[in-house]
Amino acid sequence: MKIKVTSLMVDDQEKALKFYTDVLGFIKKTEIPMGEHRWLTVVSSEERDGVELLLEPLGFDPAKTYQKALFDAGIPAMMFNVDDVQQEYERLKERGVTFSMPPTKTGTVTLTVFEDTCGNHIQLVQV
Amino acid sequence: MLESPLNDPSATLNFYQQQLLKEQERHAPKEYLYAKLTQAKQFMDKHYGSPINLEQIADAAFLSKYHFIRWFKRAYGITPKQYLTTIRIAQAKRLLRSNVSVIEVCGQVGFESQGSFTNLFKKMTGCTPSDYQRTQKSNFE
Repeated sequence: MKIKVTSLMVDDQEKALKFYTDVLGFIKKTEIPMGEHRWLTVVSSEERDGVELLLEPLGFDPAKTYQKALFDAGIPAMMFNVDDVQQEYERLKERGVTFSMPPTKTGTVTLTVFEDTCGNHIQLVQV
Repeated sequence: MLESPLNDPSATLNFYQQQLLKEQERHAPKEYLYAKLTQAKQFMDKHYGSPINLEQIADAAFLSKYHFIRWFKRAYGITPKQYLTTIRIAQAKRLLRSNVSVIEVCGQVGFESQGSFTNLFKKMTGCTPSDYQRTQKSNFE
């Protein structure tokens, strides 16, 4: 058994693809049409053979409720590792990304939280 | 870091920010210890290419070997040795992708024998260093 894909619910796959590639800098890996939605994954440009992130449509109503509850509480739905949180914070801010938490140190990690425009808070972590 | 809502007593914090603030308060008395652990981690980030041992790493943190292992594991969730292996394998993958030979990679990431390098690489990535290099190559052809 291997962990190859993890998923993130997004309110609009096309918008999500744009944000995760154009703004964050990930690369589209697979795209398979599936009825009105797509099997759509992205990977890190630094790790193209790494775990894929599935941008999953919100086709199931209770999922919308869950996503909104997480968002309202400010809880990140997903977490990515970066080498330099401060640098990423500045880069993304310049691109118009909204942050709910500027770079903050706790214990041995520094983290920051932003909105992905698709209904999620995303956390960046520097270890 | 000044603009953090966690440092602003008048800010209304969401649930996650409240949790983070609690975490920060819990960690605060150990700041000096985290600084030492970070130093040891940076020592590994810098010297992973040499065959460094646990004593040298613990020395970089000014901690006894026993305390160092215990606190490192508590802070990072993995032992110093596991961390060292992780960065060595990650660097080995980078070097293999840029076409450096397996024998050379083994030496450059601090392994003393090619056998232990190959075994560990296989355990961590699911394939041997030469298989890894071959698949990466064919992906770009």
